Amino acid sequence: MNEITATAKGVRHKQQSTRFWALFAAPGTAWLLALFVVPFYAVLALAFGHPDPIFGSAIPEWNPLKWDATALRDALSRIFGGDLGTVVIRTFTYVGITLVICILVGYPVAYYVARSARKSRGIILTALVLPFWISYLMRMLAWVNLLAPDGMVNRFLDWIGIFGGPKNFLSGNAVTVIIGLAYGYIPFFILPLYASLERMDVRLIEAARDLGASRARAFWRITWPLSRQGLMAASVITVLPMFGDYYTNGYLSGSPNTSMIGNQIEYYLHGSTSPQTGAALVIVLSVLLVILMAYYLVSTARAASSVALR
Amino acid sequence: MVRFIDKNHSMGMPSLSRRQFLIRSAAGAALIPSFAALLAACGSSSSSSTPAGPEALIGTPTKPVKLPIYTDNKGIAAGLKPEAGPLKILNYADYVSPDLVKAFEAKFNTKVEITTFDADTDLVEKVRTGALTGDMILSSSYDTHYKLVAAKLVQPLNRSYITNFANILPALQDPFYDSGSQYTVPYTLYALGLSYRNDLIDPKIVDAKGWDVLWDPAYKGKISILNNDRESMAVALLRKGITDLNTTDPAVIAQAGADLKQLVASNVKVTIDVYKNVPTGTTTIGESYSGDMINGVSQLPTDGDPKTLSFWKPTTDKLPVNNDLQTVLKSAANPVLAHEFINFILDNENAFTNFTFVGYQPALAATTADEIIKRNLAPETLRTCLLTNDEVAKGLRIHALPLAQAKLYESAYSSFTAG
Repeated sequence: MNEITATAKGVRHKQQSTRFWALFAAPGTAWLLALFVVPFYAVLALAFGHPDPIFGSAIPEWNPLKWDATALRDALSRIFGGDLGTVVIRTFTYVGITLVICILVGYPVAYYVARSARKSRGIILTALVLPFWISYLMRMLAWVNLLAPDGMVNRFLDWIGIFGGPKNFLSGNAVTVIIGLAYGYIPFFILPLYASLERMDVRLIEAARDLGASRARAFWRITWPLSRQGLMAASVITVLPMFGDYYTNGYLSGSPNTSMIGNQIEYYLHGSTSPQTGAALVIVLSVLLVILMAYYLVSTARAASSVALR
Repeated sequence: MVRFIDKNHSMGMPSLSRRQFLIRSAAGAALIPSFAALLAACGSSSSSSTPAGPEALIGTPTKPVKLPIYTDNKGIAAGLKPEAGPLKILNYADYVSPDLVKAFEAKFNTKVEITTFDADTDLVEKVRTGALTGDMILSSSYDTHYKLVAAKLVQPLNRSYITNFANILPALQDPFYDSGSQYTVPYTLYALGLSYRNDLIDPKIVDAKGWDVLWDPAYKGKISILNNDRESMAVALLRKGITDLNTTDPAVIAQAGADLKQLVASNVKVTIDVYKNVPTGTTTIGESYSGDMINGVSQLPTDGDPKTLSFWKPTTDKLPVNNDLQTVLKSAANPVLAHEFINFILDNENAFTNFTFVGYQPALAATTADEIIKRNLAPETLRTCLLTNDEVAKGLRIHALPLAQAKLYESAYSSFTAG
């Protein structure tokens, strides 16, 4: 009897404990509901809604049974085989190249910081966070001044006299836009990667070295596999906002040659009489990003299960 | 029509104006697409309460419109005393002289509060949904004004308060978009043309080629076009000699879009920043508003010469012209004071004061090119930036279109900007 009571008490205690811990998720859940679920449903309602015959603005259709898929169909037909296909491919290309730059530049930096002595680590981390003190837009404007025909970069090129005359970096130059993206987003890449690398057990590398592995081999067999999840997280954090970026191109190029899907969304939502099209493009972009996110989640789950099996 | 027109770059202002900063901050706020869409969604509501058939209120030069005076929206009576204020004005940022505002405050012993907006479409949406409230709009567009009338968001003006009405440019005293000036009076004038640095491109070439110069591969990477669907498409139409800038012929619109798309190979910039890009040499020549080069003088490098700035515009029969409007909101708490402010703006001397700050020509008969240049408010070399009554009267107008036709322009423009 006592045993049964004790078990019941244990179960009740466990339930109470679970409820207690669940309460901690409440603020996050409320946040997600208010700032993700509701807004995303609003986007759906907008994309499947109707244009206001007087104002040309979009009337959201909140009832899914009355949704009109015309705008989404149009957006899909324009993206797959239509005139917006190029801009989507360009967006993926720019984001992909920028991610590679982030990895090539950011990984060594994050690794170096993670392996630095505690004292100097603080200074380096502060230096890494420093760009956050200035808004993204201001940093882009700084690039505009640097790369302008009479800016410092051109004056330097003119001074060394190798390239012959000022270069027009700010008119439809894909390299400028990609460098701008990499510059703007790389702090978002380094910090989560650093957090992952910093937690890594250094003794594993030492063991590998003790067992005769070269530095390179120890890196590829120990550090790289263990940092892969951090790399994935850093990539996701960097890439997702980059897909919606439109002002980097706006400031550093402004040319259709370098426009991204975010520029089209911005135009349709703010400058046209077809905000439904903008909302439909948001949905298409979101679906594409969900596919990327799904890959990340699956790989994270796999990594977690493989650790558990060990 | 949506205009992301930048009118804030007055002479002597820093390169990053407050309005630009606001625009860019707004751009930042719209970073997340879903958030931007949410804002749009939240700003939308049923229009069932608004009168039907607002497209009938779209006036054109060949078919001027007499806007209706609704029985429940007749405006204020004559002979009322100005309210204590504060007067709340909706306006583009930095699009009215602070000195002028101070003078008004002193004269009427009141305060003026200015709330800014970025684009006409935003203005209409925010006024409609109550996100923006105030007494008057200092600079709205006739492309969107008809919607404000249809939704009874603006009130008819009482002319008895506007004693300076006669100062208005004759061409705009009875405008096609508001026959009889029942709801509006004009604020500023502008035309579309080409801003360029005459030390980087020979004016003779610009004069000879006109709009076609943008399609000259010699200027690859050095050209720009306005980031506005109708105004950029107008260039493609005019280049082919088509002066119907409001054509609804799908084939003509598609061809104009295809012509614009040719500019992609020339790395065309699509921007309103011509006022800055041309003086600094980022762009050699670009489509712009006529006020841009007057404002551009202040954007020149420290060793820059104002005489290097030029503005080309087509002949009057092919010249796209436009003007902004002043109007009083129906919900105005200070409608008499708003009328007084409109009247104050229409005073000749006040208009000159305002011009020194905003750089766009006031829509008054007295603010002629001769007088502006004589007063040293603009260089002689930029005389082309200033319009005559004849140009305003006979110039081409881009006016609002029904939604279905507007979408044709939007699709073509979107296809162009997608590259």
